[in-house]
This record gives sequence, structure tokens and C-alpha cells, in this order.
Amino acid sequence: MQALLVVAVAPLLVGLMRQIRARLEGRAGAGVAQPWRDLRKLLRKERIAPRGTSEVFRAAPLVLVATTLVVAVVAPFVTTASAIDPVADLFAVVALLALGTVALALAGLDTGTAFGGMGASREMTIIALVEPTMLVAIVALSVRAGSTNLATIVSSTLHDPARLVSPASLLAAAALVVVIVAETGRLPVDNPSTHLELSMVHEAMVLEYAGPDLALIELASAMRLTVFLGLLANLFLPWGIATTATPLALLLGVLALLVKIALLGAVLAAGEVFLAKLRLFRVPELLAGSFVLALLAVAASFFLA
Amino acid sequence: MNLAATGLVVAAALGGLSAVVALVVPTRPRPVLVGLGTAASGAAAVTAGVAATGGQSFAVSLPELLPLFGVSLELDALGGLFVAVTGGVAVVAGIFGMSYSRHGIGGRSVQSVFPLFVVVMLLVPVAASVGTFLVCWELMALTSLLLVAAEHRQRPEVASAVRWYAVMTHLGLVSVLFGLLVFAARAGGDSFDALRRADLSPGVAGVVFVLTLLGFASKAGILPLHAWLPRAHPEAPSHVSALMSAAMVNLGVYGIARVGGDLLGGGPAWWWLLVLGLGAVSAVYGILQAAMSADLKRLLGYSTTENMGLVLVGLGAAGLFASSGQRVLAGLALAAALLHVINHASFKSLLFLAAGSVLHGTGTRDLDALGGLRRGMPVTTAAFGVGALAASALPPGTAFVSEWLLLQALVHGVAVPGLATAIVMPVAVAVVALTAGLAVATFVKAFGVGFLAKPRSAGAQQATESPATMLVGMAFAGAACVVLALEPAMVLPALARVGGVVFGSLESAVGGEVTLRLEGVAGVLSPLLLALALLAAVVVTVAAVRAPGVRAARREARLWDCGGGPMSARMEYTATSFAEPLQRVFDDVVQPELDVDVDHHEESAYLVRAVEYRRRVADRVERRLYEPVLAVAWRWGEAGRGLANGSVHRYLGYGFYTLCGLLIVLVVLR
Amino acid sequence: MTDTGYVQALYLACGVLLLTAVVILWRRELAVIIRVFALQGAALAALAAITAAHQGSAELWAVAAGIAALRAGVLPWLLRRALVESGQAARETQPLVNVAASLLAAAALTMLAYAVSQPLVALAPSPATQAVPVGVAVVLIGLFVLVTRRRALSQLVGFLLMDNGITTVAFLTTEGVGLIVEVGVWLDVLLVVLVLQILTTRMRAAFGGTDLDDLRGLRDT
Repeated sequence: MQALLVVAVAPLLVGLMRQIRARLEGRAGAGVAQPWRDLRKLLRKERIAPRGTSEVFRAAPLVLVATTLVVAVVAPFVTTASAIDPVADLFAVVALLALGTVALALAGLDTGTAFGGMGASREMTIIALVEPTMLVAIVALSVRAGSTNLATIVSSTLHDPARLVSPASLLAAAALVVVIVAETGRLPVDNPSTHLELSMVHEAMVLEYAGPDLALIELASAMRLTVFLGLLANLFLPWGIATTATPLALLLGVLALLVKIALLGAVLAAGEVFLAKLRLFRVPELLAGSFVLALLAVAASFFLA
Repeated sequence: MNLAATGLVVAAALGGLSAVVALVVPTRPRPVLVGLGTAASGAAAVTAGVAATGGQSFAVSLPELLPLFGVSLELDALGGLFVAVTGGVAVVAGIFGMSYSRHGIGGRSVQSVFPLFVVVMLLVPVAASVGTFLVCWELMALTSLLLVAAEHRQRPEVASAVRWYAVMTHLGLVSVLFGLLVFAARAGGDSFDALRRADLSPGVAGVVFVLTLLGFASKAGILPLHAWLPRAHPEAPSHVSALMSAAMVNLGVYGIARVGGDLLGGGPAWWWLLVLGLGAVSAVYGILQAAMSADLKRLLGYSTTENMGLVLVGLGAAGLFASSGQRVLAGLALAAALLHVINHASFKSLLFLAAGSVLHGTGTRDLDALGGLRRGMPVTTAAFGVGALAASALPPGTAFVSEWLLLQALVHGVAVPGLATAIVMPVAVAVVALTAGLAVATFVKAFGVGFLAKPRSAGAQQATESPATMLVGMAFAGAACVVLALEPAMVLPALARVGGVVFGSLESAVGGEVTLRLEGVAGVLSPLLLALALLAAVVVTVAAVRAPGVRAARREARLWDCGGGPMSARMEYTATSFAEPLQRVFDDVVQPELDVDVDHHEESAYLVRAVEYRRRVADRVERRLYEPVLAVAWRWGEAGRGLANGSVHRYLGYGFYTLCGLLIVLVVLR
Repeated sequence: MTDTGYVQALYLACGVLLLTAVVILWRRELAVIIRVFALQGAALAALAAITAAHQGSAELWAVAAGIAALRAGVLPWLLRRALVESGQAARETQPLVNVAASLLAAAALTMLAYAVSQPLVALAPSPATQAVPVGVAVVLIGLFVLVTRRRALSQLVGFLLMDNGITTVAFLTTEGVGLIVEVGVWLDVLLVVLVLQILTTRMRAAFGGTDLDDLRGLRDT
């Protein structure tokens, strides 16, 4: 059920963010539901197999969607009771999302075009640097919960909200925001709306996709964004999440989640208006900075605990 | 005789028999017989090892077999684990070698040394006295040296690799030798039992530990003594590479665990901090060099350094926890390290065999010249894909499970009071995470550039699939990878017993059958459920896409080529260009040597005829550390040349003078 | 003020101090650095104010007000004026150690600060002394900035960062030093800033830039 919610909401979130950007830039915008309309249209188009590509190319969109779907099922978005608790580990979730990225990078390489290789190479560089920050930030979060299980972290924060304003959790939040921006390919790390070869990362890998395959990829990247924002929201602002399985609590959980994700998305979109894309070789600096923040978060959880 | 004893004896006998058979049978059936014999010997060893980790033990002493100290063997749980791993690798390498060795290495000497190498590797973890251990250790070095040299006629680089390996492995031996001799002298006996009972002063124990650590670390390819590994492993025949990289390096870890944990009984925290530090540096440096490498087998060799580094991080953390009394965490970290040894053996043998198959099919192992192999070699491509997934620590792969355990141990170690753990654990987590990230990039490069896309050379274009026995060897290794990835709980009880040998009475750290449940600290993970959930999600997605209204047939279309006509393979990204951004990021660490030559037309300096770009990522540690040493040795040799002028009388004279001199010294001193 | 509230607020201020120190190391634009520095001054003043509120001491309130005026007001203003006067490349283009490496160094320095201040914390364990490593870390990061940055202005910031760190340590260990001592320190700092500012101006007049490596030209060869 949670997964259905994520699938339904994800394109709307992207639409909302585009709309906010458009309004801030003085354009009318295409409306919040436009991504859904795009998806519907793409799904009806013919399936294309670019010459010389293999099963890897065809399977990548499926793997990408599947990994995100699994995360959407297991992570505590609406309720702290996970559907498959033994998978709801933060490390596992991060690794699953990385698996989706890897599938896409392999597909980019599989096309044998210069663009595909370029996108894959850049994406892999970024992910290699994102991973340490992500995991160290997780350590900072899990030190006091005593577990890396997502549900445990969220419910322990619910019981003791005071620790949210501690330096450790603020630093960890700042670090996670940076890596989430990098991982979901938003400005200033990657520009989701560019097709200029100098600046493409994600778009370069998916250049050869068309029709239903492209629809899957678009849907998956929207879902990844939603999942990441949902995780961020519930790790640092867990209020409203359902702790019991009563319909009322679940409804409240859904509403709270929607509001939180929409707010975070709006902030992100508004922020993007004022940012330019970083040069690719400045990105490591940004990620090193976020890594230091994460490490300081762990350090702070000792001496400022 | 119990199962452990029978298995071990059968394994040794079969190995010896294969060696003899190789000497007497004619060339044609030789590789098949040797391969079968080695595989059978390996299978017997697996049985013995599994029985030993299950609680059986076996001890035998043959005082007359060797002069001076005799031979004494003892198989316990710790040794059993390594016997089982070595045996497993021997099975797949033996099967693979049946047809792989037909080409150029079917000779009598190489074929008879191969099973011997397996047998001595099986005996190292069984040795129960200093003398036996050292003899087996040296025999292992010698036999592997002969195997590395197998192809020296075909390729001139082999000779240099052999020289490096010979010198480094013997320096390592000398270090271990000194360490163990000091230990045995203090203990007043050379059997391991006597060593266990010995009461050493902290200073002597520290010296013994550091000396043996140096030797064992060099065998495991740990920095800064790794220089031989990326040379020797690629130059050996591929099934030998698999044996060396998946089985022999493990014995370095075995040595550290046996001497540091079992014989010296733990020891102070700084020992294990040293182990952890060496491991962390090796892990990052190894994977960074692997990410830069464009030679498939060299890449795998460096990845071995990385994985052994991760194992040492686990082992060091376990020792650290044990020395501060955290038995639960020590058990967890040790289980992670040992599980990673097993996982690494399974995926690294698979990867090396697949690389051997590529070499067999295309004649090259240069990633920049490969590509498009999935058409000619679908099984090899699939095998490498499985291995790459396992090696890059992504679910549902094998290394993911062991790295998850390792991270859990480190994360929970953060909460342990104490300055050292408070600082070391977060840094170690960061190191493991960086390694994991770079490993993903490395294996995406190896698989994506090497096997997908378009062929980059004629050899890759005409690649054909390897013979059936090679594929069967890879299939066995692949099956091991898959089983370990989905059901790691299978081997965990055995690991707990092994942990008890190393650090004495550890609690079982991980329980559960389908789900891994950490005991004593919070943490659950179910690799099987994870894989099933992933599968279910794929099925759901496929069903959704195939819904009515969506056309099923695919139309073939041209790639987007910017309107410039079909793209040639020269326009593809190569392994070198793939690694370029990473190389830039880590510029200060790897310090590549770049060389760009621009050739202009005579008519005008603005018209470029050709651009030549050369990049070499030299091993920086090697340049900084080894070259000065080599330079000193070289100068020493130059100085020594004055003494050697070719006169035999003079050389005999040196011996005579030295003898007289020594006698005079003796007389004066008495 | 309740005890837990006091501790929370204190740690929050310390977190901001550390964060701003890292950000100063991170960013290249001098204008941003100065703004972040002002923010750090404000955090330090908040730290003083929190201690004052906890102890209910009027003297400490005065110190807090002074810190706010000097470090969040006067010093950044002076720095900004120097920056505007220089009127040229307002970026730290080529630090001696690149930014990514400096950030990693900052992480290492923080760990070191934590390690060395353990004995200090053990002397008088209290929530305030627990946070002493933050002050030490800021001092070390300031020294690092002083060593590795080329522009005279960013070196000045490094110096002031050290001073902020020292003040932080003073507040956390002794719960505030006497007003007279504090005022004396302020005067010293102000004097140093003025002297360095004059030096910067003279250097610009002599070399047309404020890259301190140019000073080598003055040596007899």
C-alpha cells in the first residue's frame, strides 16, 4: 500500500517542483499533473530496441523500478511497522538504491555510445564519493538508537524528540541533504533538465531510452526522489507517522507524509532556482564537505552527548 | 579415524597421486587427469574442513618424517575453515584447468606442480609445530613460484613478475621465520601446544607479533608489502591466479589469526589497531588502483588487496574488542572477517576463471581492447556478471552480507567506551564505505566496458565461447557465490566455533536461519527475503508494463549518433576514459603520469595530424618505498662487483679467508 | 532556564561554532567567509549569553553583549571594508592545500582535538567541559587556515578563528573569565586586526596584491 502511495505521489511531486520553479522564474508552468500525462503518453508508444544493445539495456529500467519499489515497501513512511522488517535496514536500503544506479550505468555503457559511457562514468564517480558520506551519516543516526534498522531509529526519535536539535542530528541532516541532492541528480550536482553534453550526468545514461522504457525510468527517478525525501522527513521530523495500525492513524500518517514531502520538495525546488550547476570537478569538494559534516556528526555524538 | 582425518589423508594422497600421474602419462590426457585429481583432492579437503569446523579434530605426529623436528599436524576448527576454502577453490580451479591447460602449459613440470601446490596449501593450516609450519609455508612459496613462471616462454613480463614474487615472498618468509623462532626459543618447544602455554614478556610478544605480522601481511598482499601481488597474480595462468588470489592470500590472514589470537592469546590493543590500520589503508589503496587499472587481471589482483584489507579491518576490530572485553562485538567482527574470507574466495575464483576464459577466447586481457563479449561468450559474460555483482558489495551479492556484518560490528563498536574505539570506528566505517563505493565503480567498469557495448578490437570481435569444462568450473564457483549470497546463515555456526579458537570462548554472534539476527546487539537482515522482494518487484513491474494497451514487440532502431552516421567502436568510452573522473578526484593520491604528444601537419601548426595520449598509473607506494631500497641494493651490488673479477681461485680464496678469520675469532673469544 | 534546556542550547551553540569553522574552510569567496565568520561571532555571543542566563550573572551578560558587538559587528565590518578596498579578486583561488584535502584535514583535526582534550574533560566533568573539544577543534582549524591560505584577509580570518576558539574554551572550562581580562583580550584582537589591515594596505600598494608569498621578494638574494 505504501508502495502504491509512493508510485502515485512521485510524479506529482516532480510536477509540483517543476511548477514551483516555473512560477519563481516567471513562467506559467505546465501544471502539477503534467508528469503523469507524460508517463501515460510514453507508455502507449512503441517499444524501441536500439541496435547493438543487449538484455542488460532492456532489464535496467525494470531493476531500477524494482529496487525503488522494494525500498518504498520496506521503509517506514506511513507507519513504523515495516512490511518486511528484516530488509528495512538503512545499509540495505542505501545499497538497494545504489543497485538501481548501477543497473542504469551498465545500460549506459551497453549502448556503446560516447554519451552513455560518459554518463555512466560520471555517475559512478559521484556514487563512489556519495557512499561514504551516506554511511557515516547513518552511523551518526544509529549511534543513539543502537540499531541501523529504520523503524527502530524512527520510533526512538519519536520517543525522544529533544535529540533532534542536538548538533549531531543537525550535522547529519545537513550531510544527508547534500548527498540526497547528489544522489537524485538535482542541482547543483546534476541538472535534470539539461541535454548539453558538457553537463549531463543522468540524462546521458538514459539518452537511448524511448517509449515505455523511458516511462519506467522517469517514474523510477521520481520515485527515488520521493523515497529519499520521505526518508529524510521521517528520520528528522517523524511526527505524524502511524505507530498503530488503526485506519485513523494510517490516514494521519499518509497526510503527514504528503505534507512533509511536499514541503521538502518545495524548498528544494525553490533552492534550485538560485543555484547554478557546479563544475563536475567541483562536485568532489561538495561531497568532501558533506563527508566532513557527517564525520563531525559522529564525533559530536560523543562529545556533545 | 573420523571424517576430518579421512578427508585430509585422502586429499593429500590424491594430490600426490595426481602429481605422479602428471609425470608418467603422455601429454594428451595429462591435463584432464591432473585436473580431475586436483578437483577430487579439493573435494576431499572440503569434506575434511567442514567436518573440522563441525567440531571434529584430528592430530597426528610423525617424528621421523623430517630430520631435526619431525612433522606434526593438527586439524581444528580454525584450520578446518581454511582447509575447506582452499579445497573449494581447488575443485573449481582443477575442473577449469582440464581444458585451460591444453594451451602452452600442459608440460610435465607445471602439471605435476599444480596438485602439489594445492596439497601444501592444505597442509599449512594443519601444521601444528613451528618446523612443520615453516616447511609447508616455504613449499607453498616455491610451488606457486614455479606455477607463476609457467608461461615465461610466451611472455617476457613473466620473468620480472617471478623475480618480484621470489624476493618478496622470501623476505616475508624470513620475517615469519625470525618471529616464530624467537617465539619457540622463549617457549622452550616448537609445537604449537608449547607456544600456547608459553609465558612471554609483553616486549617479546610484541616483537614476535610484529615480525610475523609483516610476513603474513606480505602474503595477504597488504600494504606496503603488496608489490608482488599485482605483478604475479596477472602473470600466472588463470586457474593458478584463482588459487593464489582466492586461497593462498587467505593463509596470510590465517597466520595472523593463529599467531596473534590463538598462540599469543590476544595481546594489547595496539597490535590490533596496527592490523586494522594496515587493513584500512590497503583496502582504500587497493581498490583505488583497481579502479585505475585497465588490465583485467591486474584489476582483480588489486581487488584482492582491497578485500584482504577489509578482512584485516574485521580481524583488527575483533582483536580490539576482545582486548577490551567486548566478547559479543569481537565475535561479530570476527564472523564478518571470516565470512568475507569465504565470500572473497568464491567470487574471486569465479572472476579469475572468467578472466581466464576471456583471455582464452580473445587473447587479450586489456579492457581497452575488449567489449562486446556477450555475443561470442554469453556464459562467461553471465559468470563475470555474477562475480562482479558479488564483488561490488551490492545486494543480492555475497560481499554485501559480510560487509553488512562488518559495518554492524563497527557501528556498534562506536558505542564502546574508550578513546581508541571512539576515533577509530567512525573512520573505519568511512573507509569501508569508500571502499564499497569505489568497488562499485571498479566492477561497473570491468563488466560494462569489458563485456557490454561494441568490441574494441579484432580479438574481441571474434571471441568464441570456451570449452565445456571451463564453463563447468565457472558454474561451480558461480553456484557457490549465489548460495552464499542467499543463505549465509548456513556457514555462520561454523564461524562461531572458529572464533572460539582465535579469541577463546566467544559468544555466538549471529543467529537465525533465513534472517541473520545479531545476538547481544540489535540488527537483522535477511538476504533471502531481500532477493525475493527484489524478484517480486521485478515481476510486478513487468506485469504493469505488459498491461493491455502497451505494445509488446520491439522495433529495432538506430542509436543516436548526432546524425553523423553509424558510430564506430573508437567513439566508445574505454576503461581508461571511464576511470578518468575518478583519477582526477584522487589525483593527489595516485599521481598518474600523463604524456600528451601532439603531432602537427607541416603546413600549419594549427592542423593537428595526430594526438597521442599516454597515461600510466604507477604504484605510488612502490615508487616511494621500494625504489630507494632497490637503489641502495643496486649500489651495494656495484660496490661488490669489485670483489668479483671472475677468477675462480679468488672466489675459493674468499671462502678460505672467511673460514680462517672465523676460526681466529673463535680462538680469541674463547 | 532548566538544566536540560541549558545543555541543549549550549551544545547547539557549540555545533554552530564547529559548523561555521568548517564552512570557512570550505568556501572560497571571501565575502561569504566574512559573513560566516560573523555568524560564528553570533554563536559565540549566544554561548556567552547561555552561560550568563544559566548563572544569572550580570557581568557575563555584559561580556556576551561585548562579544556580540565586537565579533558579530565590528570585526566583520572591518574585514568587509578591507575586502571592498582591495577591490580585486575576492576569492581564495589557490589555497596551498586544496579544499577537499583541507576538509579531510579538518575532520582529522577534530578527532585530534577530541583525543587531546579528554584529560581536560576528566578534570571537571560537566556538560560544559564535555564540549571543550569543540573549542580546541576551532583553534586547530583556525591555525590550519592561517597556515594554508594565501590571501592576507583569509589568514586574518584564520587568526580570528583561533581567537574565537580560545574564547570558547575559556567559557566552557571556567564558565566565563573576568570582564577585565576579556576586555583586555578584545583590545589586543582589535589592535592585531588594525595592524594587519594596515599591513594589507601597504602590501597592496607595494605588490598590487595580497598574496603573502610575494613577501619572499623582499628577501635579499
